[in-house]
Amino acid sequence: MTAAGDSWRRVHPASPFVRGWVALAAMFFFFGRDAFERLLQGGPVIDERLAGRAPWLLLGGGTVLLLTVLGFVLSWYFTRYQVADGYVRVNTGFLFKQQRQARLDRVQAIDVVQPLLARIFGLAELRFEVADAGQSAVHLAYLRVDEARQLRATILARASGAVSGTPATAPGLAPAQQAAVAEEAPEHAVLTVPPSRLAGSLVLSEQSVVIVLGAVASVLLSAVTENRSFYFYLIPAGLGLAAAYWNSFNKGYNFTAAISPDGIRLRYGLLDTQAQTLPPGRIQAVRVSQPPLWRVFGWYRMQVNMAGYGTAGSNGEGSARTTLLPVGTLAEVFAMLSLVLPDPGTPDPARVFIAGLNGLAPAGGPGRSAAPAAPDDGGFVTTPRRARLLAPLGWRRNGFTATDTALLIRSGRWWRHLVLVPHQRTQSIALQQGPLARRFRVADLVLHTTAGPIAPRLIQAGLDEGRALLDAQAARARTARKRQTSEHWLDPADHLVHAPKEGPQHG
Amino acid sequence: MHTEAIDPPGLAWRRVSPRYVTVRLVGWALANLAAVVVLSLPLVLVLNGAWEWPPLWLAAAVPAAAFVLALWRLVLIPRQVRSIGYAEREDDLLIRRGIFFQRVLVVPYGRMQYVDIGAGPVERSLGLCTLKLHTASAGTSAEIPGLPAGEGARLREQLSARGEARLAGL
Repeated sequence: MTAAGDSWRRVHPASPFVRGWVALAAMFFFFGRDAFERLLQGGPVIDERLAGRAPWLLLGGGTVLLLTVLGFVLSWYFTRYQVADGYVRVNTGFLFKQQRQARLDRVQAIDVVQPLLARIFGLAELRFEVADAGQSAVHLAYLRVDEARQLRATILARASGAVSGTPATAPGLAPAQQAAVAEEAPEHAVLTVPPSRLAGSLVLSEQSVVIVLGAVASVLLSAVTENRSFYFYLIPAGLGLAAAYWNSFNKGYNFTAAISPDGIRLRYGLLDTQAQTLPPGRIQAVRVSQPPLWRVFGWYRMQVNMAGYGTAGSNGEGSARTTLLPVGTLAEVFAMLSLVLPDPGTPDPARVFIAGLNGLAPAGGPGRSAAPAAPDDGGFVTTPRRARLLAPLGWRRNGFTATDTALLIRSGRWWRHLVLVPHQRTQSIALQQGPLARRFRVADLVLHTTAGPIAPRLIQAGLDEGRALLDAQAARARTARKRQTSEHWLDPADHLVHAPKEGPQHG
Repeated sequence: MHTEAIDPPGLAWRRVSPRYVTVRLVGWALANLAAVVVLSLPLVLVLNGAWEWPPLWLAAAVPAAAFVLALWRLVLIPRQVRSIGYAEREDDLLIRRGIFFQRVLVVPYGRMQYVDIGAGPVERSLGLCTLKLHTASAGTSAEIPGLPAGEGARLREQLSARGEARLAGL
């Protein structure tokens, strides 16, 4: 029962109680509160008027408790999972049965999540994401921590093709053999975000600006109108913001990134901890952004679009999952970019990326004649000078450049953004133009990727450049897709794919 | 204002059926006539003397403005329908639409997850259908309305076959 093998297995027996502790706690609260209050007042445990009926009440309460526990036990008994034949299967439910299976080589991400209570009991939840932006495809709550880790290693080993590497065609290996191979892949730490920097980044974040502005406004209003009630509005606002700060701190605490053959490993969390594994080549788009106040310290934030994660949920968990780096220095951003995009597809990645993050086109405007842009601007093609009235601040920032492997889109003079979309991840491309943009002969180029925090959009490119890019990008995405053949990223036959490719191909 | 097409040059666009204008006209009539009728209610009530407040000029101006706007949209419909086009290339499908707000969309065949064909009551009676392409991205709203049913079926088969041949993962 120790190896996560081919047999059908059950989750940990304590898991329904850990999941349903709220229900149990509520029951105890309702039954216990009355008695407790009376005890405090010096009365008997049970109200005199009810004393005669006490056995019935106890019986009723006991029945409810028993039914709940029975439900928990049944739900545990009928939840079984199996990893075999290239699939992970989960059966749940005893009245309404559900059988679910997901192909291992379709894995987009695997998370090991530990809420506080589960962590106290040494349990963890395993989430297996495929490309369906809804809920997790497979959701195993809860397993023992080492069991969850081993299952993750098994799934990743089979998904990557590393296990079937020896005789290349073997879904039907003996279970013992496969379980033995599924060691956790060795990993190499890349960076850790110190808590002090995380706290600093929160203090200097956008919401702090809003707080300061809001506080100043309410104080001014109070002073002008001599009405004290404005202070009271600050209390709920302050509570909400404190919760937001706490959430960000809790989710970003002790953020650690590491690289292993299975992909990028991210670990974070103060009370609830989470460990994410993003297999190579599953990242659909990356955004590096810098709010204005972070520029003082040269900090950046990185977010990703993953096919399985979907848009950020309301509870903040989604936004934590799509964060690749909550706050980092330029060197750390480069370290993460090298993991996300192992082959930058350009001879001088540092220059291109720095231009994307901080660069500004020369004030004279590159113009269409000066196609090879100024050397300090990393080859970015920006909004033509004629359209500077449309974006008086941003026209020297808004631009794009394409390397052999990815399209880089930068924007924002104060809130700086750099979006990277790998060519083989482009879904579809649209060129859009409104009447105002037409007057200035510019157009927007929109790249469609899977649901997530990033919606790549090239703002106000020159019309000719935009048209050329539409064609060139379609061609680049096509060639990039042809190179990518297998979903098994460690398959020996697949190594050609990850090797450097043919020369530059500019449209 | 001179309208310069934003689509890449050198493409042979196929246009949708001119009968699609009728479909758009029916939709236009339902939406705009209802709006004008609702907006005219205050005018009627003011004329009857039931309502005091909106002055007569305001009660008359609002439905008049709505009517002019509706007429303007009506005039645009044939041009809008003519502006819808699609082109099949070796590896991708291009869809364009719009005059004032133009949009050109490129959908690679290998990225298509599935193809839908739908037809509303008006479209069906005219022998037309609407083809929708879906990729892994929700942002791809690729839709070709007003295709003759035969052409729609042909295109669907064609797209499915090509998509299968060039299928890539996500």
